[in-house]
Amino acid sequence: MAKKLGKKARKFAKKKLPSVMKRQRKLNSMFKKKSAPRRLKVSNEVFLEESNKSKNVQQTHGDREGMILDEAVYNNDLGDLFHQDDYDLDEDVSVSDGYISEDPECPYISESEDEICSEEKSDDTPILLQNREIYQEIAKQKRKLDKLCVKDPQFSKFLESRRSDLHKSKSEEIYSDEEGDASADDDGIRESETSLSGKVLTSSTLDVWCWMVMEQPNSSTLSSLLYGFRAACHYGVDSDEVSQQKIANREVFSKLLTFVLQEAHGIFCRLLGISGSMNKENMLKTTKKSEWKSVRPLIKSYLRSSLFLLNQEMDNQILMFVISQLRLSIMFFAAFPSLAKRLIKRSIHLWATGDENLSACSFFIIRDIASKFSSDYLDICLMRTYRAFIANCKFMDPANLKHIKFLMHSIVEIYSLDIQKSSQKVLVSVQQLASILRQALKIKKKEELKKIHSWQYINCISVWVEFVSCNFKNYDLQPLVVLIIEIIRGIAHLFSGPRYLPLRFKCVKILNQLSLSSGVFIPIASLLFDCLDKRGNINVDRTQRSHVDFFSLLKAPKQLLKSRDFHEESILTAIQLLSEHFSQWSYHISFPELTTIPLILLKRFHENTTLESVRRTVKRLMDQAQQNSEFIQRKRDEVSFSPEDQSSVDSFLQLEKNDESAPFGRFYASIRHTSISQNMIH
Amino acid sequence: MGKKNKVILPPNLPPEVADDEIEVSDEDLEFVGRNREYVGFLTKLDTKSIDRHVKRVANHEDDELEALYEKRNRKPSLLRLKEEEDKLQVDPVDALPVKTLDGKLEYRTADRSKSGDGTDGKESAMGIEDDEKIAGMMKLTKPEKRLKLKKSRKEAKKLAKVEEKGDGGEEKLHSEVLAKVEEDLSAEELFRKKKIRLAEIGLQLLENPEENIKALKELLQICDDEDQNIVKLGLMSLLAVFKDIIPGYRIRLPTEKEMEMTVSKTVRQQRFYESTLLRSYKAYLMKLVTLEKQPSIRQVAVRCLCSLLDAVPHFNFRESILASVVKNISSSDDTIRKLCCEATRSIFSNEGKHGGEATLEAVRLIADHVKFHDCQLHPDSIDVFLSLTFDEDIGKSDVLKEPVKPKKRGKWKNQDGSKEVQGSDRKKNKQELMKKTREEVSADLKAVSFAPDSKDRKLMQSETLTAVFETYFRILKHSMDPSASRSKVNAVSLSCGSGSYPLLASCLNGLGKFSHLIDLDFMGDLLECLKKLAGYSDHNDGSMQNHLSVSERLQCCIVAFMVMRNNLDALNVDLQDFYVQLYNLLLEYRPDRDCGEVLAKALKTMLWEGKQHDMQRAAAFIKRLATFSLSFGSAEAMAALVTVKHLLQKNSKCRNLLENDAGGGSLAGLVAKYRPDATDPNISGALASVLWELSLLVKHYNPSISSMAASISSMTSMNPAHSQVLFSTASPLQAFADLSTERELFKPASKAASLRRKRTREIEKDFVVMDPDQIRKYENMIDEGVLTRKFKDHFILNKGIMENERLRRELNHTMSSISLYEDYKRQKKHKKER
Repeated sequence: MAKKLGKKARKFAKKKLPSVMKRQRKLNSMFKKKSAPRRLKVSNEVFLEESNKSKNVQQTHGDREGMILDEAVYNNDLGDLFHQDDYDLDEDVSVSDGYISEDPECPYISESEDEICSEEKSDDTPILLQNREIYQEIAKQKRKLDKLCVKDPQFSKFLESRRSDLHKSKSEEIYSDEEGDASADDDGIRESETSLSGKVLTSSTLDVWCWMVMEQPNSSTLSSLLYGFRAACHYGVDSDEVSQQKIANREVFSKLLTFVLQEAHGIFCRLLGISGSMNKENMLKTTKKSEWKSVRPLIKSYLRSSLFLLNQEMDNQILMFVISQLRLSIMFFAAFPSLAKRLIKRSIHLWATGDENLSACSFFIIRDIASKFSSDYLDICLMRTYRAFIANCKFMDPANLKHIKFLMHSIVEIYSLDIQKSSQKVLVSVQQLASILRQALKIKKKEELKKIHSWQYINCISVWVEFVSCNFKNYDLQPLVVLIIEIIRGIAHLFSGPRYLPLRFKCVKILNQLSLSSGVFIPIASLLFDCLDKRGNINVDRTQRSHVDFFSLLKAPKQLLKSRDFHEESILTAIQLLSEHFSQWSYHISFPELTTIPLILLKRFHENTTLESVRRTVKRLMDQAQQNSEFIQRKRDEVSFSPEDQSSVDSFLQLEKNDESAPFGRFYASIRHTSISQNMIH
Repeated sequence: MGKKNKVILPPNLPPEVADDEIEVSDEDLEFVGRNREYVGFLTKLDTKSIDRHVKRVANHEDDELEALYEKRNRKPSLLRLKEEEDKLQVDPVDALPVKTLDGKLEYRTADRSKSGDGTDGKESAMGIEDDEKIAGMMKLTKPEKRLKLKKSRKEAKKLAKVEEKGDGGEEKLHSEVLAKVEEDLSAEELFRKKKIRLAEIGLQLLENPEENIKALKELLQICDDEDQNIVKLGLMSLLAVFKDIIPGYRIRLPTEKEMEMTVSKTVRQQRFYESTLLRSYKAYLMKLVTLEKQPSIRQVAVRCLCSLLDAVPHFNFRESILASVVKNISSSDDTIRKLCCEATRSIFSNEGKHGGEATLEAVRLIADHVKFHDCQLHPDSIDVFLSLTFDEDIGKSDVLKEPVKPKKRGKWKNQDGSKEVQGSDRKKNKQELMKKTREEVSADLKAVSFAPDSKDRKLMQSETLTAVFETYFRILKHSMDPSASRSKVNAVSLSCGSGSYPLLASCLNGLGKFSHLIDLDFMGDLLECLKKLAGYSDHNDGSMQNHLSVSERLQCCIVAFMVMRNNLDALNVDLQDFYVQLYNLLLEYRPDRDCGEVLAKALKTMLWEGKQHDMQRAAAFIKRLATFSLSFGSAEAMAALVTVKHLLQKNSKCRNLLENDAGGGSLAGLVAKYRPDATDPNISGALASVLWELSLLVKHYNPSISSMAASISSMTSMNPAHSQVLFSTASPLQAFADLSTERELFKPASKAASLRRKRTREIEKDFVVMDPDQIRKYENMIDEGVLTRKFKDHFILNKGIMENERLRRELNHTMSSISLYEDYKRQKKHKKER
């Protein structure tokens, strides 16, 4: 298809790219006028890939890593990272060796014409209404033309002579007119009308075929069936094909698709003599079998058609079905690299943009490919998933919170498959984030700050934090952790002031998480002291009560800044984070020292604050921390080792830790409980 | 002498009309061919003319206007030289460095004046002078001269035109006014004309200031023009002229008595020249000062004043320039303020130009300015003090030198005597002569350069210092008075500056820099003052109520220590209060609000550099700093830990903190129990504590901090002899800078080439984060009925769309056929016509 469109299409895409993009966006929601824009879409993609390719052609394979970093640093754009892997996935789109012809031996059972066009009568969709209108219009115009011909017989001759010219010019117009596709060569219609190969696939024929294939999976019926399957998949897209005539009605269509998708894998397995699950070695063995040669085109056709369907289809249910069926035969893709790449591309797209279930299903595909295929595929998956994530995490709202969380988790899953490989990539990515931050620290311009102060940046950091906290136990990720912590501290440092408290809290939360999972000590107390300092006049009127959820915001709205709620909430959040920090070290021998300075400040705050509700919580934290300090001090007096003796320090109170007998542990559990229940209410 | 001449001459040589330069030198060659005796002279000059030529080309490539200015710059110095020549002839008593000119030049000046008499004074264009310079005696024919004159005029016009291009067409408003006066000319032409006039006068003045000195008046008149652009241009050209023609000495107008005396013509001329120059200069300055109040011309006027101050600080009326510059030193306009600050700085740093008097004046003026505005100024105005340099060795060097000198003289006298006795010792005589000449030269040099003798300089310097410190103390005093400032903060809104005391920070900086120069008499008061500012007013009030920021208070402590350190021998003041301050300020420090460098500097000056005699105090600080690093970021923590390590190294007894002895060992001393919340380090009982912090710091995420903590905790076993070796060299300030976030982000993360796999993951557990059960539920979510329906819908839709497309095509086809009918009819008509 891409080749057919050729240069003209590319030129066109170049010229009208913006409008096409707009159209595309519209298309996704409206689902109208399918074929014409879709063709444009493909050409558009071709164009994009082309440009990417040319951009990255100079990059040698060897020092790719370094160059990405350089490039990324230069551009300082998150999306630029990992661009270089954009090998032209569509380059082999036009290789059409998956095409199999129909076997003429197969029985066709002719049926009454009723069945073929029975359904339209009942339906009354807008498109049909429109069709009817156009039909009437045609009739009117035809009458007019006839009249003219009758009036002047010579005109009809003239018309005939000019018709051929007309077609030529028309077909040229196709590429310069967006709507032109719809009015493509009317010649085709006539031809297809005449050359209609009488064989229409009816439902009884299909039943017989299915039965035959199930009973005896010989190649001839199967290839006919797959041919039909292909036609069904392409139905409505390639208007010049026989496909539209091939399928008799919707029953046939639906049955054909479901049957093939459901049973194809089983049939292939039986043909190849494979049983049970497949893995890489298994697959390799299979390809060496003698049967493989004969089955290969069939499999390829099946996969190609399904992929085509996957690319065309918009409905989540169908997509899910296709994806989950394709997942069964995922190992077959290993034999067809170009198809596999297309599958990756499509499933990553669906993973990033689809709804919950579809996203999950697509993720399984990606994960299967990443884990079961060769390491090249893993590379592709790593880069592409992260890039898709970057592109899709720009906004956070309660609606997509869960989705982004899912995306994050999936990325962590995929990156955890091969830590050796992925840690390099993570390091590059984190370094890029660091360089963006560095730039912002240096220049401190609004745009630079905006780059940092965005969900995109925060989410990227969060992904890697998640990654590190999942894998720290098993792998030595020390340098990565240090860099990430510095970045987070840098962010907190860059955005001080009450407006950015939500961001600050987020940073502290992330640091707590990192500290908990990695076991390193990260001092966070100073990041929270700001909240405890005296703030300007707080609006005392309590008329408007609004819950402020700090973790779904980055920047507090201005009108909130002086409200009492905001103030209260910020202190409570700070207390919560602080107690999280304390609780982590509540069994450590230096817990009393850790709490010294925060307690002095909290005490002062407690004396000065006027907010009664906050007072109580602060008092409680102070008491608990005090109790815990005393507890530790008591225990500490009993031991005789010095701070130098690190191993003894580490084993200090390990027994108690398992019992959870320290006062602070219990306190923190209760505080967590209340905060969780509070969040549930809101 | 010859040397000096060479030094002065080359840059002076004026690049003149380029086009016929080569021709002239050709003629010169001919001339030289005829007169062999000049060959040597010419060869010397030839290279210069080449140089000139090269420069010329560069100039022409540049903006023409710039070229003009450059020319002006170069020429006048030459002219000045000539003036001096004249003076030499006229008034040999004058103390000018006329002796530097060699005989040849003297000869030429005489010649020049002669030839100048011959030709019309006004017509002596630049080319002529130049040629005269080159070919001394050679006389140009009249047509040649005329040619040159024309050329120079053309050039002037060209320049004027270029100028006009820049601003032309803007002045439409004025045309109405001007139309009454000059009806023939349109406003633009008038504007152009004025500019040409400006250029002409400027050139004339530069060519021959003595002759054309009256033209200054005209220039001044032009500056009264209603057109503001003209005024600006006038001011700028006057600036350029003055910068060039102002002599390197201060003009003293003759007294009446002197006026009465009969003098020669040249002296009279010179006097007239000087008085006119002075008068116009005064008028110009007055104009600038008045124009400076007009917002539109303000920047230009200030720029003129500043560059005058920079260029001719030795000249008359410096005081008034200084006054207006200082007045603008804290202007709210950034460019003006920067200009003024730069000018003041240049006064401070180039004392050679004016002998230090201007420095004193400027400092005094600033002091008055600060006083007048009640310390509510931009910090820049005080920051200029930082570029002051006080030479402590003024007195010393002179004291060393002076005893030598008379001795020498005495020797000479003795030698003189002996010479007379010996009489015929020629060699000695020659030597002596040389010495004498050298002596004379140096004396002249001294007279010429503005270096006043050391006594005066010392006096001046001390007065300057007094004024500076007066300002500083005023600011300090002002900052101590909370009521006075609070009320005024609102009235005076300043863009910059920290809080209500914009000047305090830079004042403290200055005090820190000049702390070694502070008079001992002030020391007590100053410390008292700093103590109060640092927040130690009294305990009840507490540091909470202090109105200064933490950084400022830390700075107070730093200054106090610096002052003390520099005068440690003289005073014996206990700095305990400042220690208490620092001890408490550590709690107040907020990383984003306060400047971390100041904290690190405070640690460095107060704990790292000084010597701790009080062990209790040292222990308290060690404990507090260790605790501090548990709560704060890595840079601060590192600075604190470096200090801790240093303190531990210096105070061996404090190393008991590292050991867990029951009850703190024998050293627990007066206070048995550690009280972390004590405000006084001396009663905190830190010696009874153990530095458990280190065991947590070892787990610090930052590897350098964790290794630092480890190295500190292992100091127990350190034997005293070792301690010297282990002495860390990095200061807290250094440590802070090393670990600051910016720096940390730059560190190339070591590429973990081979990741050590700590543990093999359980094979069964497929997922790291996700819950497998939850995931599995996604797999069986497809409902077949729904699926079939969806497929069917899909089919219908596609079919409908295809149908739609087909119908549309047909419709289009029919329509086009119908439209073809029109074509057909036309064709038919065509045929018929044929």
